[in-house]
Amino acid sequence: MKKFTSRMTISVIGGLVAAALALTFTATGAHAASSDATINVGSLYEPQNLDNTGGGGQGVTEALNGNVYESLFKLNDDGSVSNLLATGYTVSKDGLTYTIALHKGVKFSSGKSLTAADVKFSIEKVLSPTSKSARKSSLGAIASVTAPDDSTVVVKLNSRSISTIYNLSYIWVVNSAAKDFLATADGSGPYKFTSWTRGSSLTLTRNDSYWGTPAKNKSVVYHYFTSATALNNALLTGAVDIVTTIQSPDALKQFASAKYKITNGKSTTKLLLAFNDRVAPFNKVLVRKAVTSAINNKKFLQSVWGDYGTLTGSMVPPKDPWFTDLTKVNPYNVGLAKRELAAAGYPKGFTFRLDTPTYDPHPAAAAFIKSELAKVGITVQINSVTDDQWYNNVYKAHDFTATLQEHVNDRDLVWYGNPDFYWGYNNPTVTALINQSETALTLSAQTALLKKANRLVVQEAASDWIYLYPQIVVAASNLSGYPLNGLNSQFYAYNIVKA
Amino acid sequence: MNTRLKLSLSILGTFLFSSGMSVIWLPYKLDDTSGLRLESPSWHHLLGTDKLGRDYFSRLIVGSRIVVIVGITTVIIGALIGVSLGLLAGFARRTRDDTFSAFLDILIAFPTLLLAMLIVAARGASLTSAILAISLGISAVLARLTRLLTKRVLGADYILAARASGTSWFRIVIIHILPNIWTTLIVALSLQFGLAGLAEAGLSYLGLGAPPPNASWGSLLQEAQDTVYTAPIAAIAPGLLLVILVVGVNLFADGLRERFDPTLGGNQ
Amino acid sequence: MRTLNSPLVRYLRRRLLILVSSLFLATVTLFVLLRLIPGDPSNSLLSVGATPDQIKAARHAVGSDLPLTQQFFHWFNQLIHFNFGTSLISGVSVSGEVFSRLRVTVPLTCISFFLAILIALPVGFISAYRRQKWYGTLLNGLSQLGIAIPVFWVGIIFIYAFALHWMVFPAGGFPPDGWHSPLAAVRSLVLPVSTIAIVMASSLVRYVRSATLDVLGSDYLRTSRALGFKFSHAIVRHGLRNGAAPVISILGIELATTFVGAVVVESVFALPGLGSLLIKAIAEHDYPVIQGVLFLSTLGVLIIGFLADLLQRIIDPRLNRFTESRSG
Repeated sequence: MKKFTSRMTISVIGGLVAAALALTFTATGAHAASSDATINVGSLYEPQNLDNTGGGGQGVTEALNGNVYESLFKLNDDGSVSNLLATGYTVSKDGLTYTIALHKGVKFSSGKSLTAADVKFSIEKVLSPTSKSARKSSLGAIASVTAPDDSTVVVKLNSRSISTIYNLSYIWVVNSAAKDFLATADGSGPYKFTSWTRGSSLTLTRNDSYWGTPAKNKSVVYHYFTSATALNNALLTGAVDIVTTIQSPDALKQFASAKYKITNGKSTTKLLLAFNDRVAPFNKVLVRKAVTSAINNKKFLQSVWGDYGTLTGSMVPPKDPWFTDLTKVNPYNVGLAKRELAAAGYPKGFTFRLDTPTYDPHPAAAAFIKSELAKVGITVQINSVTDDQWYNNVYKAHDFTATLQEHVNDRDLVWYGNPDFYWGYNNPTVTALINQSETALTLSAQTALLKKANRLVVQEAASDWIYLYPQIVVAASNLSGYPLNGLNSQFYAYNIVKA
Repeated sequence: MNTRLKLSLSILGTFLFSSGMSVIWLPYKLDDTSGLRLESPSWHHLLGTDKLGRDYFSRLIVGSRIVVIVGITTVIIGALIGVSLGLLAGFARRTRDDTFSAFLDILIAFPTLLLAMLIVAARGASLTSAILAISLGISAVLARLTRLLTKRVLGADYILAARASGTSWFRIVIIHILPNIWTTLIVALSLQFGLAGLAEAGLSYLGLGAPPPNASWGSLLQEAQDTVYTAPIAAIAPGLLLVILVVGVNLFADGLRERFDPTLGGNQ
Repeated sequence: MRTLNSPLVRYLRRRLLILVSSLFLATVTLFVLLRLIPGDPSNSLLSVGATPDQIKAARHAVGSDLPLTQQFFHWFNQLIHFNFGTSLISGVSVSGEVFSRLRVTVPLTCISFFLAILIALPVGFISAYRRQKWYGTLLNGLSQLGIAIPVFWVGIIFIYAFALHWMVFPAGGFPPDGWHSPLAAVRSLVLPVSTIAIVMASSLVRYVRSATLDVLGSDYLRTSRALGFKFSHAIVRHGLRNGAAPVISILGIELATTFVGAVVVESVFALPGLGSLLIKAIAEHDYPVIQGVLFLSTLGVLIIGFLADLLQRIIDPRLNRFTESRSG
């Protein structure tokens, strides 16, 4: 029902090296569209606050990223990066100094000019000790930021990092003179932040003095719901024009008419059965492989998503450049699972505790896994945990045997290179490969290294990657120009038109 | 036995039987996911299956078990605490009794569901939290009623005589008070049983009751909202069963009242 | 001097004392229960890998480094000034948040409550006065059914019938600018209000019905009718007055129940009220919000009880002991 609404899971797993590959496949068509339209967006992800370094959650990205706040660089649908507030950059020979030139004449919606000092302030805000931004760690290579003049920013690194420009695309440029980032927003984007009624809705209005191409609609209102049913009902009754993420395929039957358009985009959200690779029995590769082979992921995907969703067999979603289909490495095969269990020294199986978040689809997944593993003699004790308990016991204290969790971002394979991450996967070869990939000189070198690392991780069944979520958007058929993929919950609203 | 009592006993009997039965035998085990996704009702699955292919009929029966468990435990705990407190207050001197009653009034006025939310906030959502909160609510109501009834009995001449002759208060309770008030208490408790079922369903619906995979009727209804177009039975059956159960319990209370005291039952 | 010592004033003083002391008791309970939550309240302020210094600062910020009694009095002092601190999740002031939510919850509760009374009075009266007729029995049966239906289920059924099938009212939500678009705001409250009102009315009907039966069978009514008063006149003159006192004390309790109904129904209809705030806060372990909402609700419940007792006393001065004023 609610996917990652908890502040810490978002900031922790969401983000990091991960990216907002905003695949804005802009639909074309729509004639006679009014530029004075109000677009009503229905969402389950209300921001906690409006500060993406203050634990605002994924909702704040959905509402404000690219709409109200802009970054130096913008991510395009092919994963490439283009200039947004930057007009270009140069990299020093040693790869440690980035000199970035800024667009001139850009103003915040409050009227103040955007200068290099604001950019410096914004980057330092993300890096500050009080920042809850999980991007912090991926920006660890940054040594200093300086603003030699109003339209130049110099970023110095400790070590070479191929993802620098990519990472900078997450950092919103905020007004350094702003007093309040929690309840209001002052950005340079195509919309002005207008109002936010907590528990209900958030309104953006077109910024008429926007420096770039103006928004094609007059205002965007995000309506927030806490249950998927209420959200779908709102679309059915015309209270909203578009629903950003459909939570179950059953809801789609209601929209099977000419009044609605259903699109099936690309997602980066994966459902994981994460083992604690440090402790018995999951410190044994064979046990992990056996469990992975004993669970019919395909059947489970079907029961949750019907004909939607994908099996990937690894942490890497198809949108990552280093994707390979690895579903065959640990195939569903109960006989194989039994043999592997016997070889690992558990011919009669064992009992383990599965820490399960209380919201969908985790409880269902836990029930399913329990019945699947019973067939190979493994007993699962389902232990429901709140977000807080998960964060404190599993994520921080590593006090768990196995857990279920959603991981929303792309490019998050890197966690298997960090032995201190909650699942504690520790393979020095993988760690070395992942570290090398970050200092690689070219994208193809990076890709090759990560492909190798991924295969190793899957061969050792570090986790069971159950499935990749579908990204289903349903909109009223008079709407066009909306993003279909909304990866990492981005939602660029400025091209939406209502006929 | 009057009609109301007969009708209600057959309703309650069915619920008790099926939930007791479910401990030993179910058409399908709760973690049996062998069915297909959202099957329609058939001979194999009387009410179809849920998303995971679990037999819906079995889940409903397990739900009835939860209501019955919650109802019985809360009523027992509530009765034990409430009756003892009520007796104490009934015997207490006036000032102490006044203060006590004032607090009872407040506890009664304080909605059970809010109390439950407070307890859930402190202890986390679980069946125990729900039972604890609902029992507290019941005990307040029972304490107040017991106090009132005790005072009434204590005012009678023969009690005054017994007290004057030095009979211990414990004896007075056992010999004179309880036999005089138990019928009224039973009626009140059976009404509370129904309210407890409703309260538990409300908590589960809000996600504050027994956590999954325990399928309380409240959480079944919550889940079913999503699939109402594909599996409408799931959105109707748990609600209907709950209504039947509560009506049954209320009828039982009315029937009892009529049986124990035809003049009291007269307002029906 | 005389008025100061009148029974009503004495009663008022005593009742006020009870109000204050029970509020104190309630806050102690709230404090103890919330401190039972595992983990330090400062946890949520910290990011992963916080240094001991940061932990110390966070504990200082939320006051969890002080001795418990000191924490309590500090906290109590803040509560009675309606200062509930800031949300651990959103970082904004809890009191502002809570009071803005009242704009939905208070109208929702009050309108539902009055509508419930409006329904219950005639229905309860008719079902008692015409209990021999088929429609009296039917009304009684319907009210029996009404008290057995979970309020959220009525809400779900209403959504499917009136919002999705006939499309006459919105399925949920509240207009972005709230009461600034009064028509939209009222429209979005129609279904939630009806949901609560129907369930509440059912339970009120029983009280009205038995109060009516008591009055109908009472001596003074028979006497006044024998004296030649018209029946309606007799009812108004004696019946209402005698029937009203117990009903008022019940109403106090029922108003609190209506508020709880609102808490649940807000979730069904996605309304930005106190209830949805509380449920979200519980899910997120957002202490300050939980205690703010619960403190305010408790305060509301206590004040309602106080007013109900007082009103009852004014209507029927014969009651000499408040403790006996409520029917068991």
